[in-house]
Amino acid sequence: FETNIMPTSTFKNKLVMMLCCKFCESSLCARGMRAVLLADTDIELYSTDIPPTRAVDFVGNCYSTESCKCKIKDIACLKCGNVVGYHVVIPCKPCLLSCNNGHFWMFHSQVICAVNRLDPAGVELLLWGNLSDTEAEEEDDDSLCEEECIR
Amino acid sequence: MAAVAAPLPPESRALTYCVHKWSSYSSSYIPENILVDKPHDQSSRWSSESNYPPQYLILKLERPAIVQSITFGKYEKTHVCNMKKFKVYGGMSEENMTELLSSGLKNDYNKETFTLKHKIDDQMFPCRFVKIVPLMSWGPSFNFSIWYAELHGIDEPDVVQPCLNWYSKYREQEAIRLCLKHFRQHNYTEAFESLQKKTKIALEHPMLTELHDKLVLKGDFDACEELIEKAVDDGLFNQYISQQEYKPRWTQIIPQSSKGDGEDNRPGMRGGHQMVIDVQTETVYLFGGWDGTQDLADFWAYTVKENQWTCISRDTEKENGPSARSCHKMCIDTTRRQIYTLGRYLDSSVRNSKSLKSDFYRYDIDTNKWTLLSEDTSTDGGPKLVFDHQMCMDSEKHMIYTFGGRILTCNGNVDDSRTNEPQFSGLFAYHCSANTWKLLREDSCNAGPEDVQSRIGHCMLFHTKNRCLYVFGGQRSKTYLNDFFSYDVDSDHVEIISDGTKKDSGMVPMTGFTQRATIDPELNEIHVLSGLSKDKDKREENVRNSFWIYDIARNNWSCVYKNDQSIKDNPNKGLQEEEPCPRFAHQLVYDDMHKVHYLFGGNPGKSCSPKMRLDDFWSLKLCRPSKEYLLRHCRYLIRRHRFEEKAQADPLSALKYLQNDLYVTVDHSNAEETKEFQLLAQALFKSSSDFIPLGFSDVDQIYAQRTLLFDTLVNFFPDTMTPPKGNLVDLITL
Repeated sequence: FETNIMPTSTFKNKLVMMLCCKFCESSLCARGMRAVLLADTDIELYSTDIPPTRAVDFVGNCYSTESCKCKIKDIACLKCGNVVGYHVVIPCKPCLLSCNNGHFWMFHSQVICAVNRLDPAGVELLLWGNLSDTEAEEEDDDSLCEEECIR
Repeated sequence: MAAVAAPLPPESRALTYCVHKWSSYSSSYIPENILVDKPHDQSSRWSSESNYPPQYLILKLERPAIVQSITFGKYEKTHVCNMKKFKVYGGMSEENMTELLSSGLKNDYNKETFTLKHKIDDQMFPCRFVKIVPLMSWGPSFNFSIWYAELHGIDEPDVVQPCLNWYSKYREQEAIRLCLKHFRQHNYTEAFESLQKKTKIALEHPMLTELHDKLVLKGDFDACEELIEKAVDDGLFNQYISQQEYKPRWTQIIPQSSKGDGEDNRPGMRGGHQMVIDVQTETVYLFGGWDGTQDLADFWAYTVKENQWTCISRDTEKENGPSARSCHKMCIDTTRRQIYTLGRYLDSSVRNSKSLKSDFYRYDIDTNKWTLLSEDTSTDGGPKLVFDHQMCMDSEKHMIYTFGGRILTCNGNVDDSRTNEPQFSGLFAYHCSANTWKLLREDSCNAGPEDVQSRIGHCMLFHTKNRCLYVFGGQRSKTYLNDFFSYDVDSDHVEIISDGTKKDSGMVPMTGFTQRATIDPELNEIHVLSGLSKDKDKREENVRNSFWIYDIARNNWSCVYKNDQSIKDNPNKGLQEEEPCPRFAHQLVYDDMHKVHYLFGGNPGKSCSPKMRLDDFWSLKLCRPSKEYLLRHCRYLIRRHRFEEKAQADPLSALKYLQNDLYVTVDHSNAEETKEFQLLAQALFKSSSDFIPLGFSDVDQIYAQRTLLFDTLVNFFPDTMTPPKGNLVDLITL
């Protein structure tokens, strides 16, 4: 799990980055944020909030690292199949309680090319505070699915 | 002669090739990378630009060779782009290749070698081109990669040249047979005879030459019928029959009622009940369920031979048996004649620490007694109270396996959504004689190679011969699962048959449907009846029943039938229904000895009447055409043709023939055939024909139509006896 050692409001002033796969140059994510690992602040990462399902998919099984008890699963670039990061499936309590940016999708900085994004006018660098919460996929509700038991 | 030693065949060695053509490649992953084996370099591979078919590489050998095997090198780590499924084709030209291999790579770092088909009828054939076609990658949404490919075989001209000669002779022979077929079809008798005389190549088995002579040349239809009859008797149609698909035959069972009090003589409307079948005595047992307002505790037996339901108990609780319940599970030990039941659903209003106990009962058929095996299996190391789980009996080792189901918990009204996350039960084994439970697999949130993901509403079947449990379908909260795996109960090993991710979702057919499944260990088949979709939108639109068969050995699904008939109340509702309406919460059991399915009740899912439950009872047989059916059908075809010939020449005698000889060969219970028969009389009044003359030949309509009939009849014979299937003229493209 990652964090920024800043108060929550400061995330708004962070730059929005475009992330690409270093192996095959395919675009992975348009909402990247530079971050560091909570458990080891020497390790740099990029993170994002919305699942980048168009560009990556899960590979392998769930695991935990030595640093914390978060359950994570690797994600690989859809184009070249190489592992480019991981998704925090179940965050551990210490990580959840610490200051974090609420992002559950991480990219390893050494396999990523990152480029700053510009605002819609193309003048200023785009900040997270100016980024709209994009259409979170609406869950289709269904009366029967909601029901616990069908008999 | 025996003193002459045959020379040893030369050793197989690596063959030199270049990459000739490719479908696509992405970034720097160029096709030529497969020529070098660098397992440490992730970039030393060919990777396709997409996984949209067709993706392929065509390799060109330095010179023609007998290609005996292919070896694939891989990356030093597992990689999602490895080919899980692929095919290899080969041939002397790239336009004309035959399949040499259909297989898959393991997702590891070990080199793998596969033998390629390199013989036809024990004769080696050469290839100049080899085409590798990836079909599926280990991560189904990823592109295909090949790190390294090596071909092995023989390219010594001494060996290859005779094979080339044989190969060209083989092709020539097949070409001549196509010519012979063409000549005969077009009545170029002289050409036919002289070609046959010169080459001495047989077009077909002498029996079929005789059929052709009788049918096409002489028009001796009686002799044709005799010939077909003999062929059927000799079992010549068996191969054809075994290749035919099953057709489902539903029959509604109207049980005998012994006395006047009708309604009480059979189980009432319900869903969420349980059924098991004792195939030895052909008895179906039914217990419990939900009638729309309350749980039931009645217990019934239906005997197939007497076609009668008997109420074993109106209330099993009064006989020291289980209380009223629904969404429980039952299994039968036909050897010891005992029935087990475990689990149930409890409405949230009645859940408390006292009621949430997983009681476990056994019923002894012969003594008609219930035994409480456990008041709460969770205290014995078994499952907690669950519903919509699955349970299978292994009579041979006296074990029961139970998997999945949602664990019922007291709702503490905690706002924290995480504590309200549904919990699912794992895979447990129950040792019947020791009365002990063992947890085999916990619910793992993500499936590793030996992990399983728990669920509800899935299917689980025990294969008594290969001793594996087969699990597929089901859901976890709102997620429908369509993975498919087997669990070997003796070796404690999980084998993923299909991981159910997007690309191969077509493999497990019934996502989101409340499917019911049965297994036939002898035929090595799994049968699946899909019910209603739980997805409301889908339900309104295209409600269908569908029936699928999974061939375990061949690892393929086939749809036996789909019903397009909507359940939206159709005006014919009052008439006898031909098949059960789609539903959920129903029960399906299978008698694998007599090959009959039985279905009872369920919830038709009508939003207007939510309490409606069904009490209809059906049997289902899967049929292939019988020898008798085929014989009758062939007779019908022959006589129909004979009638059409007569209708042109002598309408009056044709009419008689239609009413008598032809009439008796029609299956009048078959609506389609009956209709066709009724339309046949039109031929009597048809003067002009729609016959298109065959180019340059002098073939008349009669000859052409007899030939057509001959080709139809020949289809029922095994391939080894028939003329080639194709037609020479079809090789001409415009």
